[in-house]
Amino acid sequence: MLSEAPLPTVRSDPVTDSPKDLRRWRLPRGRHGLPRELVARSQRERLLAAVVRVSAEKGYEATSVADILDEAGVGRESFYELFEDKQDCMLAAHAILVDDLEATVMVAYEEPGLPWVDRVRNAVEAMLDWFAGDPAAAKVTVVELAAIGAVSRVRFQEDFRRFTKLMDGGLDNSEPAPDLPQATSLAIGAALARVYEEVVRGRTTELPRLLPELTYELLVPFLGEAVAREEEQRAAKIVASR
Amino acid sequence: MGFETVRSVLDPTIPIDIGVLSQRQRIIDAMIDSCAEKTYAATTIADIVSRASISRTTFYKRFADKRECFDAALDYCVRELQSAAGNAHSDSDSPPAAVRKAAAAILATLASRPALAQLVMCEAVAVDSAVVDRYRRILAPALEGLWSPGDAKPELHADPRLAFGRAQVLIFNQIAAERTMHLAELLPQIVYLALLPFAGHDEAVRQARLAERSPASDGAVRPGDG
Repeated sequence: MLSEAPLPTVRSDPVTDSPKDLRRWRLPRGRHGLPRELVARSQRERLLAAVVRVSAEKGYEATSVADILDEAGVGRESFYELFEDKQDCMLAAHAILVDDLEATVMVAYEEPGLPWVDRVRNAVEAMLDWFAGDPAAAKVTVVELAAIGAVSRVRFQEDFRRFTKLMDGGLDNSEPAPDLPQATSLAIGAALARVYEEVVRGRTTELPRLLPELTYELLVPFLGEAVAREEEQRAAKIVASR
Repeated sequence: MGFETVRSVLDPTIPIDIGVLSQRQRIIDAMIDSCAEKTYAATTIADIVSRASISRTTFYKRFADKRECFDAALDYCVRELQSAAGNAHSDSDSPPAAVRKAAAAILATLASRPALAQLVMCEAVAVDSAVVDRYRRILAPALEGLWSPGDAKPELHADPRLAFGRAQVLIFNQIAAERTMHLAELLPQIVYLALLPFAGHDEAVRQARLAERSPASDGAVRPGDG
């Protein structure tokens, strides 16, 4: 049995129809008289949570279907009713996590009434907190995905586009046009590369400390160094006051 | 010490090393092609042996295992990119012009050799996430050296160690979108990333725009230009 990862501090919602934290979705053991559909669904959620936890711990490649079954407490037959194979299960878990990350970032970024630079900083903060709050999810979404092989590239590219679209969609007409036409893709690339590195180095839980630096790095291609430095200092004060 | 090398008629006229080298290169090429076709994880020693037309015994004479062979292939690819970058600029180029030319040469090499691109930018990161660190150790000093040939540390506008990871993400994204052939599209962004730490945002933007127009021009402001 793998050790329990620390419970996320950010996504602590109670179990709902679409649980944000897959690990929280567990059925009572033994006879429970729940409808068959709900059992299958819960098994699915448990398997998704298990593939994330096991892959984060021992690497996707070294993870076997048996490991996932063990961790989830689900039988082999049920697994193959729900998923084609290990990769199918992993991709399904990955999709749920990225959807959740996107939704989290979007809520912070699209808050009405705030200047664009504040919305960018809030979005970066939400993103860093999301990763730091669940190191297993971070490992799986940014590092282990690559181990899946060629399919992961398609997925990566789709996700990258989702986040550049999200950022572009929130661009404020009141701001001057970016100095560089490719500023959005530079910004998303910078955030992703930085998160990747910290996760690889095992510093996932310390990600929120990067808010000032990352705010600077994301804003520079849009607004130049002077404005980005001011915003970096504001972000540093926010981190210090947390 | 004290031994005289006596040439005999039995010595092969072609040094044995050349045969060994080309065999090694065949194995490396086979590894690169197989990774591009079916990923490193799915590549077997049997795949490499059959692609390289060598025996299993020969493979194991050169490499202890699949991973050692992969590392050798990666080394080879990185050297190819280094020499493409090195040959693209000369000592008389200004640092920004050198960066632009080197970046253009690297992107051109990657675009014309998709299997090599895939190994360096996708497979290597999947096999061992520590490679980003390795690339950075090669790239950061190379960039720094352009700006301060002596010991003096240049004043920095951003952390140059981050430039590689960012460029890698953008290139990976382009390959994932099956636009390897059009990697040159990324030139302005790569130039911006490589110049920002040393030259600052304004100059990096200026050079990125220049790169968009013509990657080969030296970008120096000449008297009478403005």
